[in-house]
This record gives sequence, C-alpha cells and structure tokens, in this order.
Amino acid sequence: MIKVENVVKRYGKKKNIFTALDDVSVEIPTGEITAIIGKSGSGKSTLMHVMSGLDRATSGQVLIDDADINKMKAKDVDRFRAHQMSFVFQSFFVQGNETCYDNVSLPLETAEISASKRRAMIESALEAVELSDKKRTKAKDLSGGQKQRLAIARAIVNRPKILFADEPTGNLDTTTGQKVEKLLFGYARTTNANLIIVTHDPDLAAKCDRRIYIKDGKIEKVEGGKQ
Amino acid sequence: MKTTDIIRRAGRNLRQAKVRTLLTALAISVGAFTITLALAAGTGGKEYTDSLIKNNGDARSLSVYAKSTSSESTSGPQKYGKDTANTSPDLLSDSDIKKIKAIDGVADVTPMYNVSATYMVGPNGEKYDTSLSIKVDQTGVELAAGKLSNNQPLAGSVIIADDYVKPLGYTSAQEAIGKTITLRVDKANIPGVPTIGKNMTFQIAAVSKKSDTVLHYQDAVWLSPADGKTVYEYQTPANAANQYYGVTARVKDSADPATVQAAIKDKGYEVFSLQDVQQVLFTFVNVVMGGAAGFGALAILASIFGIINTQYISVLERTQQIGLMKALGARRRDIGRLFRYEAAWVGFLGGLIGTGLALLVGFVNPWIADQLNLEKGTNLLIFNPLYSVLLIAGLMVIAVLAGYFPSRKAAKLDPIEALRTE
Repeated sequence: MIKVENVVKRYGKKKNIFTALDDVSVEIPTGEITAIIGKSGSGKSTLMHVMSGLDRATSGQVLIDDADINKMKAKDVDRFRAHQMSFVFQSFFVQGNETCYDNVSLPLETAEISASKRRAMIESALEAVELSDKKRTKAKDLSGGQKQRLAIARAIVNRPKILFADEPTGNLDTTTGQKVEKLLFGYARTTNANLIIVTHDPDLAAKCDRRIYIKDGKIEKVEGGKQ
Repeated sequence: MKTTDIIRRAGRNLRQAKVRTLLTALAISVGAFTITLALAAGTGGKEYTDSLIKNNGDARSLSVYAKSTSSESTSGPQKYGKDTANTSPDLLSDSDIKKIKAIDGVADVTPMYNVSATYMVGPNGEKYDTSLSIKVDQTGVELAAGKLSNNQPLAGSVIIADDYVKPLGYTSAQEAIGKTITLRVDKANIPGVPTIGKNMTFQIAAVSKKSDTVLHYQDAVWLSPADGKTVYEYQTPANAANQYYGVTARVKDSADPATVQAAIKDKGYEVFSLQDVQQVLFTFVNVVMGGAAGFGALAILASIFGIINTQYISVLERTQQIGLMKALGARRRDIGRLFRYEAAWVGFLGGLIGTGLALLVGFVNPWIADQLNLEKGTNLLIFNPLYSVLLIAGLMVIAVLAGYFPSRKAAKLDPIEALRTE
C-alpha cells in the first residue's frame, strides 16, 4: 500500500520558485498496476521520484506500508530502495561494458546478498526475460529490446514490492514494446507487486488498473482502480 | 554494499579504461621506481661502507691525541716565551700514556711512533726505497701469502707489500714467506755530522696485497709494535723522545669501545674511533639516499594530480552508472568507496610497476661493480622486500587520499540529475 498525502515539491528559491507538485494525495493499494499520465513537465516524473525516495518532498507524507520515507534518514531510504523497490527506465541504463550477468547482479550487491545466493537469483531472472543464453555477453552487444529485457531482469531479480517503470516502451518498436509490457505486467500479477508506470502513451495506460492524470503539478483525475 | 563486491567492481571499472589506468599508474611508478632504487642504493651503500670500515680499521682501537689548547683558548698565535719553549702542549708524553692506561677498559696503549728506513735490501743485494710503518692496530689485512695472528706481525718479523716481492729477489709471495729482508735505519740527521745508521734484518711473516675495500693502500714494510719501538728509540734524538703526536689505545674485549672513548675524552684528550668515521660515512650515504628519495617523492607528488584528474574525468564519464547505482539503493558511502578503491588499485598498480622495474635494475649490479672497479660480488643495490611492501602500501594510501575529492563528488551526485535523459 502506497499512500501519498498532501505532497508539495518546490524547486528553486524566492523569485525563481517552481512548484512541481502542488498538494498531491493519492492511494495505491498493494498489487495494483498504476499509470501516471501527463505531458512532459506536468510533474509525473517528480511524483515517481518522490514516491521512490530518490527525491524528497518539500512537505507532506509518502507512506509505504505505514513507513514515511519522506522522514527517513538518507541511509535508510537507500536500504529501503535496495530491498523493496526497483526501476526500469526509458533509456535502459544497462552497463554496456559489463556482462548481462554482472548487470543483473548490481541490485543484489547493493542489497548485500551473499555471492553464493546471488547466482540462482540472477539465473532465474535472466531466464524470466529469456536471456539465459546471453549471460556472458556484454550488454552493449544486445539489441534495444534485449537491453530493456535485461533492465527488467535487473529490476525483478531482488523481488521488489514496488516496480517503477519510466516510459518503459518509449524507445522500442511496437512488437518489442509489447513483449516488455508483458514481462512487466506478468511480474506484477504473479508476485502481487505494485507496478507504477510513468507514461504519456494512452494505449499502455489503458491496460493499467488505475490511471492517475497529472497536469501542472496537480492531480487532474483518477480513473479505474480495483476496488 | 560489501567490500569484496566494491573491490571487484572497482577492478572491473579500471579494466574497462585500461589505457587511462595504465598511464596514471605509470606516472606513479616513476616515483616508486626512484624511491625503490634510492633505498636499495642506501642499503647497499651502508653495507659497502660497513665492509670498508671492517677492512680499514679495528673498532677496538682508539686514536688518542692531546687536546689542542691553542685553538680552544685565545685566538691567534701565542707569543713566544719561556713557558712555551720546547714542549708543545699538543704532544703526549709517557705520563699521558700511564694516565690513559689506568682508565677502565683500556687493554694497552701504544704510542704512534714515527719511523723510517733509508733503503731495503733482499737476497739479490739490490737496494730499494721503502716506506716503513708500524702495525699498531689489528685492522684486517688482505694477504697474498703467509699467516698472521691478530693481524699483526710478531717481534722480529714484518709484513711486506706484494709489489716488494720481485724487487727483493723472490719469485713469488709464497716463496718470500719465512725468508728475510734487511732494512737500513739511520739516526736522525744532524747537520754537519755524518749519518750514523745500522742494518736490521727481519723475517717475512706475510705479504699483503691491494683490495678494493682497503682505502689508501700503501706499499710498505710493516714492523711489529715492539720492533717499531726499538727502531724509534734508535732513530730519535734523546731530547725529542718521550713526545708523541698521538697514541693508540686498545679496548679490552670485555669493554664497550664507546664508553672507553668517553672515559678517555673525560680525561681531557681528543679521541677518534672508527665509529666516528662510520658515522660520517653513514651520514653521507643517508644524505645521498635522502636526496634521491626526495626526487622520487616529488615525482609521486606530481602523479597525485594525475590521479585526481583521472578520477574526476572518470566521475564525469560514469555519471549515469553512479546515478543508476544510487537508484538501485547503493549508499553514498558505497559510491565513495568504489572510487577510492579504484584509486587504491591505481596506486597499487603504479607501486608494483615501479618496484618491479627497480628490481630489474638490480640485475645490473655486476655491471655497476665492474664500472666502479669494485670487487666481484659487490652489490651496491640491495633490495629490502619490506621497504617495497611498505612503499606499495604507502602509495595505495596516497592514491586513496588523492581520490578523496573526486570520490566525494561522485558520492554527492544527484541520481535524478544523473539519470535525466534529455
């Protein structure tokens, strides 16, 4: 359960002040797939950053299972993120010079999981995205779709409760994009995790349980929802 | 993150920037190379001087002189008067010898007699000039033939120089042993009086030869202290006797030369020992070593800026990687450590290359000995593995310190900024 209450995020000082999020409150029940939709500059990415603890809200609360990550120490937020959250980005951000295996290994290392336990987890994650045969291949030698699948393997390897996806299909063609979608949705459904997709693609948004529309830092409307 | 994981990632990141890593490491290696060689030369130099000292002197033999009174009191020369007539205060007398002999730890005191021979002659009857010395100390002697006990000839026998063997009429040093040499000793020359002298015959106990580690080797005939005294007393006019420029005090085996030296000094004498010489030589070696090591330190100082620069570039290049790691839960501390460990790897590599190259230079030791005309087997470069280990460890620490600011920049990086795609 993610609960965002009266979150305000401001950038800059005095005259140059800019309000990116203006008193945003939203509730996402566990296991729900949510889309945050808005134009660029609408504040949708900021909302994701605040929800994931990458950024701190100026005021308000971000409760994840009753823990307010907006008030946690930086160290604890990092640990929280290492164990409970993960990300898939539009530009993949896979490390080209590293092998697929090492790419997927990174979140397990930040979560301080021992090397002996890591092997099985990495292998099953690569298998889930059908990249088992590319284990020793350098990530830079993969195609765009393969790179995003690798990024998904990296995102799901530590079984996060919350998976953020920032325009996950933005750089992919329709066919590969659908494959990526399937993987993300499949993970969320089978593990009852929260998948939060930031997008401006209405087709992708339509497949989600709930759609939060953001405009000028405010919630315009919320559609759907399981309950 | 776990330390082992960070170290592994640091190593991998460096492998991905091989040329840059190698170049930075090479800059450090210049300093490491210079310092390793300086330390090796210092160790070798000390060992060499040590062997020089052993072959040129005897640690248990102290040279004692009268304290120079003129230099200590008023400046300038003293006016001629009755008090200063004959006996110079800078000379030692028999009473001084007694005083020194009474000091605890002194085994024996021998005056430094000044003796000379007009010529020497062997079985072939040819007369040759010779220098005459007395073997008062027990300094080691390199022998071509013969045998000595305590490095001194017994009364009635002498040591002769290798170069004297042939002129005297012997075919080899070995042949001369046990044979005789005759020396012509004359009384001090008094103008207007015909020179009086006598022939003295000695047995040749040993033949000495030159060695690289013996400083100031001089061709000579060396008498025993007892014979030296006899010759001195014969040669010196009675009124000049009982005055010595200096004496040699031998320290008992049970006593410490340094304490005895201090005790004699307390009695108002000037004392010089081999340890003083050794100190001077060691100081010299240390100065040379320190100078060379200083250049090495400068080279390392210069390479520090290289490390800082490389690390800054690395941080800029890997902004995205840092951002991703942070997004995936890596702590600021982990990122800082990653960059510091990379710096440590570079320092380690530089140290390894530098000391490795220096060790290779060690192989030219025989060539150096050859060029400097030193004895075969002399090593002027002696490597101490402990120094190398400490040096490499030190370089790693320096590299980590140099990587501090870049690593802090990396740790402070805002992941949102780093992962912005526009």
